[in-house]
This record gives sequence, C-alpha cells and structure tokens, in this order.
Amino acid sequence: MNKDIVSGLVLLVIAGLYHRASGAIADSTLADEVGAAGLPRLLTIALVGLAGILIVRAMLAQKPVAIPVRTKEASGDEVEDDARLPRALGFLLLGAAYIALLPFIGYIAGVALLIGAVALYEGAPRRWTVPIAAIGGALLYWAIFVKLLGVNQPVGSIFHGLFS
Amino acid sequence: MTTFWSMFHLLTATPLIPVALIGLTWGILGGALPGISASITMALVLPFTYTMEPAMAIALLACVYIGAEYGGSIPAILIRTPGTNSAAATVIDGYELNRQGRAGEALGISLMSGVVGSLFGLVMLIMLTEPLSWGARAFKPTSYFGLGILGLSVIASMTGGSLVKGLAAAVIGLMIATVGTDPISGVTRFTFGVPDLLNGIEPVLVMVGLFALTELMSQSGSSNVLRLKSSIRIRLPSLAMMNKLKRSQFIGCILGTFEGLTPGGGGSIAAFMSYNEARRWSKTPEKFGKGSEEGVAAPETANNTVASAALIPLLSFGIPSSNSTAVLLGGLLMHGLLPGPRLFEQNPQVIDSLYLGSFIAIIAQIGIGIVILPACVWLVNRPRPYRAGFIFALILSGIYTLNNSLFDLSIALCLGIIGYLMRMAKFPFLPMILGVVLGHMVESSYRRSLVLSGGDHSIFLEDPIAVGFLLFAAGFVIFSLTRELRDARKPKIQEAHS
Repeated sequence: MNKDIVSGLVLLVIAGLYHRASGAIADSTLADEVGAAGLPRLLTIALVGLAGILIVRAMLAQKPVAIPVRTKEASGDEVEDDARLPRALGFLLLGAAYIALLPFIGYIAGVALLIGAVALYEGAPRRWTVPIAAIGGALLYWAIFVKLLGVNQPVGSIFHGLFS
Repeated sequence: MTTFWSMFHLLTATPLIPVALIGLTWGILGGALPGISASITMALVLPFTYTMEPAMAIALLACVYIGAEYGGSIPAILIRTPGTNSAAATVIDGYELNRQGRAGEALGISLMSGVVGSLFGLVMLIMLTEPLSWGARAFKPTSYFGLGILGLSVIASMTGGSLVKGLAAAVIGLMIATVGTDPISGVTRFTFGVPDLLNGIEPVLVMVGLFALTELMSQSGSSNVLRLKSSIRIRLPSLAMMNKLKRSQFIGCILGTFEGLTPGGGGSIAAFMSYNEARRWSKTPEKFGKGSEEGVAAPETANNTVASAALIPLLSFGIPSSNSTAVLLGGLLMHGLLPGPRLFEQNPQVIDSLYLGSFIAIIAQIGIGIVILPACVWLVNRPRPYRAGFIFALILSGIYTLNNSLFDLSIALCLGIIGYLMRMAKFPFLPMILGVVLGHMVESSYRRSLVLSGGDHSIFLEDPIAVGFLLFAAGFVIFSLTRELRDARKPKIQEAHS
C-alpha cells in the first residue's frame, strides 16, 4: 500500500483516539465560551480533514498504472530508513532498559551499561576496550554532571550509600 | 552609559565569558560531527541549561549556534561530508582546496569568513531587533493571537514538499500542546491521571526526541568510516587574501541577512545562493568548483550571518525561522521568557547577555577554532559505535536533569520513535515543534480575547495589528500553496512536452 495512504490512516487513528480522550475533559464553572475541549475538537476535525486529503491525493496519484520508477531519493535515505526500522527500535530498547534499570543500579552503573551495550549493538569489536570505554565514560559523565554541575542523578537502590 | 555599565557588570559579575567559550567549544565540536546539525547540537545542551540562570542559558545556546555553524565546515572541507546542512555548499570548493593540499588555508578562510559573517549578523541583530519589537508594545491578546497564527503560518514554507503533511505535523504538535492543565479554566486535559502530565509535555522533550534521538536511531547500523588527517593545521588568510575575498563575503553578508529574516530561509539556502552570486560577480568565475577561495568564503559568510540574523524575527516577535531558532525559542520559553517587547523591558539582561556572549564567542572563535581543530579531528575519528553510546548517554542524562523524572525519559524515547516514523513517511519535524511551542500562546490569547469581548469574534477585526498579522499569515499560506501546486504541476508539464 502507498506510504501516504498508510500515513493518512494512521492520522485518522490518532484523530479517533484523541477525540475519544477529549471526551473525558471535565466541564468547569470557570470555563469560557470556547471551553477546555474547544481546541481539541477543532484539532480533531483538522486532522481528519488533512488525513482525508492525504489519502485521496495518494489514491488519485496511484490511478494511472505506470511502471514504478525508483527515484534516486526513494532508493536512498527513504529505503534505508525503512529497512533500519527494526534496528532503530532495538537501539531505543536499550534506552528503555536503561530507564527500567536506573532506579536499581543507579547512574554510574546505568550509564556504563548503556554505553557498553550501545557500542556492542552498533558493532564495536568484543574487546577489552568496550568495558574500559563504558566505565571511563560513566565516571566522566558522573564527574561532570553530578560533581561539577551538581545535577542530581539516581544513586540506585543497590548502591545506595556508596555514592550518596 | 547604562548599557556600558550593564555590559561591564555582565563581564565582571557573571560567568558570561566562560559560558560563551564553553558554548562556542561545544558548538564547534558538535557541528564538526557529521549528522549532528546545529539544532541537534543545541538540543543536546538544552536540558542542561534548565538549572542555569536564564540570561546565561540563552547566551550559551546562542554561542553553541555560532560555533556549530563554523564546526560544520571542518568535515565539509576535510572529508567532503558537511557536518551541518548549511555547510553543504562549502564542500564544493573546500574539498577541492583540500585535494590540492590547501586544507589548512581553506579552513582558515572558512573560519575568518565565519567571523565576518557572524559580526555582520550581530550588528544587524542589534540594530533591527529592538526597533522591530517596539511595535509589539501595543500588543493586546488579539495581537498575540494574530502573531501566533503568523508564527504557525511559517509552517507553510517548511513543509519539505508537502503542505498537507506539514499541516498534519503542526496539528499533532498542537495536540501535544493541549496536554496538561487548561490555561483558562484550570481543568486537566489528556493527563490520564498521570501527575507528571499535569504541567504538559515540555517542548524541550519534543525537540530532543525528534532531532537528537531520531538522528541517532537513523544512524544505527550505518557503516560509514570517516578518517580525518590529524596533521592538518589552520592557516589564517593574509590581509591581501581577505581583501580578495571581500566581495564574496559582502554577498554572503547581504544574502545571509535576507535569508535569516525570511521564515524557512535557513543557512543552506543562503549558502548556496551566496555561492552562485559570488561566482556570478567574481573576476575568476572559472575557478569555482576547482578550488576557489571565494567559493569557500561566500557560503561560510552567509551561513554564519544567518546564525545571528535569524534571531531578529525570533527576539522581536517570537517567530522561529529555522530548526535552530526553534530550539532557542524552546530555551526562552523553558525559562519563562516570552520573546517580544516584554523581553526587552522586563529582562534586558537576557538580551545584553545574548549580544555580549555572541560577540565574545565570535571573537574567540578565531583562537578556539585553531586550538580545537585537533580535538575535532580526534572526535570525528572515534569509532561510531562508541560515539553513539556516549551521545545516547548524554541525551538521557540531560533529559533527566530537567525534572529528575524517569517519565520524561520515557516521553523522549516515545518521541524518538514518532520522529523516526515521521521521517520514514516524510513528515517534516519543524511544523510539529512550532505547534508544540506556539500552541499554548495561540490558544490562551484566542480565548482571553473572547473572554474580553464576551464571545464576540469581531474583536479580532477591531485590532489592526491582529488583522495585519492574520492577513500576512493568510498571504503567506496562499503563496506557499500556489508554489506547491505549481511545483507539483511542473513534472507533468515537462512529461507532456517530452
């Protein structure tokens, strides 16, 4: 299916979910003429309209049956982005794991694991340089952010008392 | 005299000088990394400015912007890969000079042209911003609504080829802006009982998620190996060479200012336009493309001029004309600063810090640009897997700094996924960011106006400023729509002829 048609359908789903959620906006005695739900209603209509235009335009563009020509643009970044989606999501999963572990293992161990895991995921050779870079990087960030800039980062329930 | 003493106070009683130097250094390093644009470099540092004093935070961001514009030319000249989009035109003659063994000279021309362009842009910024903002003193809620709509109409010129997709992205941005507590009645909207959402989704999360995380995800698994020669040293141009370059630098300054003021203009368009005009007006046009010094000077002057000139519409009216200025607007809003006349009246130290910090950064660029080159080369030469790990850790550390919240980290990751999907479907980012940033102002000023008029919409027609802005916005959208329709018809007409 044409990518614009898929995009249009996704926009319709978003508009539907948004509309449903906007039904939960409470009425207030302080409400003005437009009300707290006024703009959300308008945005839903706008998104449905735009999604409709996108779908119709994509369908009209599809009508004449022609030999598909792969443009330079389509064969470049676009195709690469499509093919890399699972890989990109895997990359983000490492971030999600970092968020999940942070309250337990704390900032230093968390950042060390994150740097090491990302480096390995991105193809760094499995050598001693990975843990060295990971631990060194974590200590460097801890020194800069926590010690130098005074930014609070989670200590971690496991290591509580050691770095607090 | 007051200005002199306030400047003196800023220099002696605040950390402005180190802030400017750190910002500049960070900007050059970030800009030198291929794939990390000026806006990403700024977005990476944005969360760390949260705890800073507003004046210093804004000065830091402006200095990062200045540094990134120069930093982008380093890999453009050395490895034919522009560090930032606006350095793309520098590749043409910069890399040719490098191939002729004149890389140091090309870097020197780029550095000095950048300084000339930035200084010119700064003078324009100082001269034009405050007078323009005077007009905004007469603003009422209706005027702010008109202004917000005008800001949103900028989207029409930044849709990357599809107005419908740009508008859809803007609507989604506006939807994100509605999350949190309603500005008029105080009821909660789209919070789903999550206390972290009561204050809404901060624009900085959207910017970091869309710009930085999406870029990191897109680069995941890429195998491009970049190697810079570590022996390269910058050679600053002689006075005779600077004299030879003055024509192309002048062209860069003028076109850079024009493009900086134009919504959707940006550094890349200014750089390519300046390159073309410099060739047209050059005494040696045949040298362009074969290693012309003017071919490096013109685009570098232009994109550095844009970095300062683009702040004019931002500070005067709050209209960001590029990704980088949108990040800067995010920084202003994050610190509770609203661009326009009130910023000049209520927070003059922010404006003074921005001007003075920028000036310090521009002058320091000559020294730091030379000293930092080996560090840039070292950084670019690090294996990409390690670089990705360090940047990812930096992004997550920065986001946590905002509110000490793991929830913010999750939001940013979600926005990273949204950004990646948008990129796949060719939806532009900037309209969405503008929607998030301007959404609150548009909604609250619209509703406040109606509260004042008792629900009568004719109040918008009674304010000539609002009418002017709305007409200008309508004209802008119609012009962009006409252009898009014309561009869409072009291939068909050409097809028919062939």
